[in-house]
Amino acid sequence: MCGIAGRILGTPGPVGRDLVELMEAQVHRGADSTGFALYGPPRSQGYVVRAVSMDRGQLDRHLDDFRQTLRDHGSEFLEDPTWDSATTRHVSVRMVVDDIPDLPRWVTDADAMADRFEVQSVGRSLEVVKDLGTAADVADKHDVRSFVGTHGLGHARLATESSVSPTASHPFWARPFPDVAIVHNGQITDYYLWRDRLTRRGYRFLTQNDSELIAVWISDRMHHGTSKDEALQQSIGEIDGVFTFLIADERSIGFAKDRWAIKPLVAMGELPELAVATEEQAVRRIYQEEGDVINYDGPGVTQTWAVQVAHA
Amino acid sequence: MTVTTIAVGERPIREVNAEIRAALSAGRDVQVTDTRSRHNLGVGLPAGATVHFAGSVGYYCGGLNDGANIEVERNAGWAVGEAMATGEILVNGYAGMSAGASMRGGLLHIRGDAGPRCGVAMKGGDILVEGRLGYLSGFMAHAGRIIALGGADDACADSLWGGEVWLAQPPKSLGVDTRIAEPDPDEVAAVNALLAARGIPDAPREWHKIVSAQRLWHFESRDAGAWLMI
Repeated sequence: MCGIAGRILGTPGPVGRDLVELMEAQVHRGADSTGFALYGPPRSQGYVVRAVSMDRGQLDRHLDDFRQTLRDHGSEFLEDPTWDSATTRHVSVRMVVDDIPDLPRWVTDADAMADRFEVQSVGRSLEVVKDLGTAADVADKHDVRSFVGTHGLGHARLATESSVSPTASHPFWARPFPDVAIVHNGQITDYYLWRDRLTRRGYRFLTQNDSELIAVWISDRMHHGTSKDEALQQSIGEIDGVFTFLIADERSIGFAKDRWAIKPLVAMGELPELAVATEEQAVRRIYQEEGDVINYDGPGVTQTWAVQVAHA
Repeated sequence: MTVTTIAVGERPIREVNAEIRAALSAGRDVQVTDTRSRHNLGVGLPAGATVHFAGSVGYYCGGLNDGANIEVERNAGWAVGEAMATGEILVNGYAGMSAGASMRGGLLHIRGDAGPRCGVAMKGGDILVEGRLGYLSGFMAHAGRIIALGGADDACADSLWGGEVWLAQPPKSLGVDTRIAEPDPDEVAAVNALLAARGIPDAPREWHKIVSAQRLWHFESRDAGAWLMI
């Protein structure tokens, strides 16, 4: 089933808290794993890298190896890495690294160690935080509620296609495009065909999750000059399956919904501030009884909402 | 009759529904407030009950209705009145996807528009929509009437098995295995009587009565290609 949500704020604020609220209201849609794509104030230099180490006991070694990949590409940690203090074997790590001259090539090199230390997002602004359990579990473990930013996505997962693990859950980063992430409700039926085509052109997919395709698919179209709106439209005709997905970058959140119109999406609020979610009762956590929601119930629908914050 | 007011807020729905039933058992009407579009409100309500939801409701409101008179002041989410046996449900605003899904009897009256697949797999009763029907409405319905004053989006009555879809405006497109039938005067009179009973003013209307073309009744898998729309 799965539940998705997006939030845009008019000024930098408690976007983490709002997204946790939106996902707690949809916990019945899936609680295998929960994840967030959080957009903080964008950095003018360097990137925030979010990663997961599969073995807390080996973390020092993983960080040393990872640092070496940065140095090989002319970059370096700008701050000391931080990580969660839970007792799970896997551990989520946050790093701030300097600019990387050839980012896609560095991602390729860093992915050589992905089986033990997997990069889950890279961005001037984006931070992907995802783990096993409910919205409350993940929020508590990773302190999501205190995240200050402008916009973001949330996902509650009921796994139907691939394994349940801290890496197979949503959101998915559009490897290697910085700051692009998606959350998806549905099933993509021809994902393996598209993945084959994209893999032959140099893209990499690290999971067996059908949704991992979407972010790369849209980003690849945009990389070749298609506008985001056009790419979203094209996805409806070219990607097979039932889907409603949200895609975010530094400046916007957009969505596309397939031609069968199975997976719902509602929006409430008015830009510069907006909440979207699978279920109306989720957005009602934020806008309790102010007016009616917009139901995007029809087939083959797309929309993009701009983030209108002027950063200092 | 005295009215009991029950607030929903973020309380467990099971608790809210138990309170609604207790109040109805005590012979009272029920007003439900602070509804916050929560799901499964007022499911399986009994004959003689009168329940008013003062706001918008979430999924499956009034589902399995067994004779109650239910009103939703604003909008309903998915499948309002799903599998209703008998009774009346009035939605004053928009009714989301699959309104009246699988209903077997009773009346579902929607003042606004209805979402996609309104009346999907319905087996009886009436759905009256003052606005427009969404995409694929009446999909695989077996019996009953869907009446819409504002026309219908694409693939109207797709794969209709039995029953009727009445439109006062032409549909954007018809679904597969459907045909437009000339209505009998008696049937038009019955539809007009239903509209009048629901307080809808009389007006000259050019009805498009959609029924099954009955070719899918004899489906052969070797002909599957003829039915694939995409």
